[in-house]
Amino acid sequence: MASGSTSTDMQRYLLNRIGQAALVLWAAFTVAFVLLQALPGDALMIKYQNPDLGLSPAEIQDIRASYGADSPLFVQYLNTLGDFLRGNFGYSVQAGVPVVEQLAASVPATLSLAGLGFLAAVVLALAIAFLSSLSEFAWLRNALIALPSIFVSVPVFWLGIVLIQIFSFQLKLIPVINPPAGLGLILPVATLAIPISAPLAQVLIRSIDDVRTQPFVGVARSRGGSNAWVLSHHVVRNAILPTLTIAGVLLGELIGGAVVTETVFGRTGVGQLTQQAVNSQDVAVLQAVVVLAATAFVLVNLAVDLMYPVLDPRLKRKTGALT
Amino acid sequence: MSQTTLTSATARTAGPGLDGTPRRRRLLGSRIQPGLLLSWLVLGIVTLWVIAPGLFTSQSATSGTAREKLLPPGGGHLLGTDELGRDLFSRIVHGSVHSVSGALVAVAVGLIVGTFLGLLAGSVGGITDSVVMRIVDVLLSIPGLLLSLSIIIILGFGTVNAAIAVGIGSVASFARLSRSEVLRVRRSDFVEAAFGSGGTFAAVLRRHILPNSAGPVLALVALQFGSAILAISTLGFLGYGAPPPTPEWGLLIAEGRSYLATAWWLTTYPGLVVVAVVLSTNRISHSVRKVQP
Amino acid sequence: MAFPKSVRALTAGIAALTLASVLAGCGTNTGAAPANQDTSSPVSGGTLVYLEQQAHTNLYPPSGGFYPNGGILNQITDKLTYQNPDTLKIEPWLAESWSSNPELTEYTFKLRSGATFSDGTPVDAAAVARNFDTYGLGNKALNQPVSEVINNYDHSEVIDPLTLKFFFKKSSPGFLQGTATIGSGIVSVSTLDRNFDDLGNAKNIIGSGPFTVASEVLGKEVVLDARTDYNWAPTTAKHQGRAYLDAVKIVVTPEDSVRTGSLIAGQGDLIRQVQAYDENQVTSKGFAISAPGTKGVNDSIAFRPDNALVSDVRVRQALLKATDTKEVVETIFSANYPVATSVLAKDAAGYVDLSSKLGYDPEKAKKLLDEAGWKPGTDGIRSKDGAQLSLNVYESLPQPQNKAVLQLVAQQWEKVGVKLNVLTGDSGSKTVDNLDPEKTPLTVAMVGRADPDVIKSQFYPKNRDALLQKGGSSQKVKTFVDEKLNTLLETETARTDPAQRLQDVADIQNHLIDQALVIPIFEEPQVYATAPYLHGLGFEAVGRPSLYGVWLDKH
Repeated sequence: MASGSTSTDMQRYLLNRIGQAALVLWAAFTVAFVLLQALPGDALMIKYQNPDLGLSPAEIQDIRASYGADSPLFVQYLNTLGDFLRGNFGYSVQAGVPVVEQLAASVPATLSLAGLGFLAAVVLALAIAFLSSLSEFAWLRNALIALPSIFVSVPVFWLGIVLIQIFSFQLKLIPVINPPAGLGLILPVATLAIPISAPLAQVLIRSIDDVRTQPFVGVARSRGGSNAWVLSHHVVRNAILPTLTIAGVLLGELIGGAVVTETVFGRTGVGQLTQQAVNSQDVAVLQAVVVLAATAFVLVNLAVDLMYPVLDPRLKRKTGALT
Repeated sequence: MSQTTLTSATARTAGPGLDGTPRRRRLLGSRIQPGLLLSWLVLGIVTLWVIAPGLFTSQSATSGTAREKLLPPGGGHLLGTDELGRDLFSRIVHGSVHSVSGALVAVAVGLIVGTFLGLLAGSVGGITDSVVMRIVDVLLSIPGLLLSLSIIIILGFGTVNAAIAVGIGSVASFARLSRSEVLRVRRSDFVEAAFGSGGTFAAVLRRHILPNSAGPVLALVALQFGSAILAISTLGFLGYGAPPPTPEWGLLIAEGRSYLATAWWLTTYPGLVVVAVVLSTNRISHSVRKVQP
Repeated sequence: MAFPKSVRALTAGIAALTLASVLAGCGTNTGAAPANQDTSSPVSGGTLVYLEQQAHTNLYPPSGGFYPNGGILNQITDKLTYQNPDTLKIEPWLAESWSSNPELTEYTFKLRSGATFSDGTPVDAAAVARNFDTYGLGNKALNQPVSEVINNYDHSEVIDPLTLKFFFKKSSPGFLQGTATIGSGIVSVSTLDRNFDDLGNAKNIIGSGPFTVASEVLGKEVVLDARTDYNWAPTTAKHQGRAYLDAVKIVVTPEDSVRTGSLIAGQGDLIRQVQAYDENQVTSKGFAISAPGTKGVNDSIAFRPDNALVSDVRVRQALLKATDTKEVVETIFSANYPVATSVLAKDAAGYVDLSSKLGYDPEKAKKLLDEAGWKPGTDGIRSKDGAQLSLNVYESLPQPQNKAVLQLVAQQWEKVGVKLNVLTGDSGSKTVDNLDPEKTPLTVAMVGRADPDVIKSQFYPKNRDALLQKGGSSQKVKTFVDEKLNTLLETETARTDPAQRLQDVADIQNHLIDQALVIPIFEEPQVYATAPYLHGLGFEAVGRPSLYGVWLDKH
């Protein structure tokens, strides 16, 4: 694909990437629509066939007709796509509120949880990696190196419940119900951050290992640089790319991936919203979530792609290989 | 599910050698590694559970004696009993076949579909590469949760179907990793040389590219095996697990969690088994990564 | 990098075990007696924190059957009449008095004066008429469906600002009780002017109840404020005037262990849905359990005789006999879950004791199956003409511990050679499959309503159609119709003599058990736990909480 260094090439490359991003967005929307139509039953059926309402078949048929649920699929697809292009996200059949209101309630919550979770994961990973590399004691080093493996082998929901049992119910440090603003985020953020920190820490530990064996480290140290300074200086430079790549993948993932944390801690969020909407096949909600997630994914990846060459000049010539 | 992508992201970023330098071959087996040995031992025991659960327990995994419900570990029940009086140890042993086959299916789906896409994109290049990688982007941009839940709903509830859903979720990671490996190997001197000395594309692919790209992909396989068990467990937590009375490990942990305060053994023991298996596969993945070229 | 695996495993093991013992420690505990006596005098003020398992959905009052909806609607709306949960008598509320013609096709209600909606508009005849016109007929333009509890509705007539009259196409003996149910909560005309799709926002529901919706975070919490000018409680209620509480905060806490743990840790005052295995943990810490019954059709397994596997009455009777309901209750539940002794719960209207016809008898079951031609195969499962007696049933999520119940029943049926497959599925598949008797020869049935009509709600083909009859809710049914049952149900629901109506209900229960169309398992309660300092918690007739009389002692 794109290569070279002239500015017209760069422009063409940019336009190409943006065009592809729009294509990915449309494809995600369409794939989601097809996927959701393939599910057995539909939102109206789930809502109104529900014994809690006790409606007769004729009454249910009337309601279906009033929603236009039995018009041809292609017409429904065009209608939905048109509505989205006009910024009209529709209503949730199950909850009986505009989808925009549901998003307004859950997107900020998810963003703060995911953002802080990712930040905490980076800090935790850095701490594990550096402590394990710098520690004087072999046992501590080994224990720290083993931590990431343990972190990834514990189910997130179990971790959340156990953290609540210990810190909220036994030690009574942090309430789960009606917690003060800042305090309430600590446990959910920890629950989210611990498993994410594991792969990051592994990347960092590996980078430190690699850097250590490089000849320039010996040179730098012989010139009087302290062990910690030399390592952090070079490792951070080496590790920033992998971290950025993980961040790109993560952001899309976090939107849906926080569902477990949200369920355990009773928080609203896009994950919860998605899970409930899948269960009630609330197509309007799900289409909105997909468009949102795909937009975030496309933007973040575009940004990461464009930042690679800036961060690491060696990569300038193979931008295409990184997506 | 998030873990699937995370761990694979690690492997991905570590794998392709972004620094552009050829990977160093490290010394293998220069000393005995008790950790690695133990890891293989753990997997060996689990394999035996899968093949011959009858050797380890004589009690039924699916029906119990109702009077003997929620007995703590000890006595006639090594690890205690669940809320319907079923023997927990027996459920774990008999559950191994479900969990292991689930994890294998998940990895196989990701590996076969993902590697195929990655090889295709990396070897053919050009338009094919762009198209395939945009398809992978679409897969990544739809929230994984929505994708897995929808797939399970369409296929029906069950361990294997949940595994397929998890596997499809990891297709993108395998595709990206194998593609970048292929690209890396393709650029190397010996492949250029092979082409130069008149090798056909297929021959070079088979003789040079595949064997040399396999290392990181195999490492990812081992990693995915562990995280697939966890991902299936998470689906169980969300209510998308196998139908009862399937004693799948993830489901045991997920359903035992409600008894954390009253019958801790129900979630702790299956949890420890999963921790042991995941640690072992991680350790093995690590050793595989070391031997790669 | 080669860190010994043994050390790692050991570390993990120690960590988990330490944790386990910490957690085990919190299970066993000093046994303080529950202290919930209402001896001291009520205190006003305070905010109640109520932990609910699920978020509410659409709050259109007829959707109040869903407990999270009912839990909110019961605080913010009043009803025309009040059904005393102890006597099940209908008492005045927004209606001072009422009368009906002998055929029960016309009802006249006289409203009390002075009641207002929280937007200031009066609760007058015009507003009430609009409510019942909507609930009785639905409103297609606004997508509002009809209410299950109102049968044969025709139209209303406003006589004067405080008097109105309802007309029915046929006798509607259940209407009076219907006006007392949660689905008949009275809301303002402005509420009913909104499209159904806008009624999921709690702030849009304007009622005349003792509380109003102050704020809401969708899917997470709803805050209710007391109305200081509220002065129209049912005249028979102990407490009058405004609610004692200043506010109620309803917080959605889906995870069972977190909800129970939060209550015990003092982070909540009242929780709904306490699992039976957590009851000891709650009471041993001095917290109280309330388990009001739901006074309707018991938690049961119903047959779909359209499926050839269960079309033979002997097979159904055999399965009824093969079900050890006592073992189910003793294993999975507690004293708050009585073993079923009929189709209806003991405290339901029209209940008759049929325990002599129920009862566990595996030998009889085997004999009946032999007679019906089902012979045990090599794998222990009976078969006939090449077909195995293997039956599917979907787990029902709203029913307590349903997965465990069905698994235990499966264990019991296995002993007589019948395989019960417990299916789990998403709402869509479940809804579709539950309409097809070939896919689901069995279904889990349960419905709560303190009126004889409840049995019709559950089994009549034009209502919930639990047995799936031809001409009912499903197009998939080939032939099955139970004319006798339908006639009994139609007679019951149009019967004007109350005593005769109860006799009809008894006949229906006998028919259902004689034909073994349903296997009643236990009487389903709604289980709540409250903090020791919480007093005055009331419940409406089918176990939805009433927070009007609740007060919080100093603590």
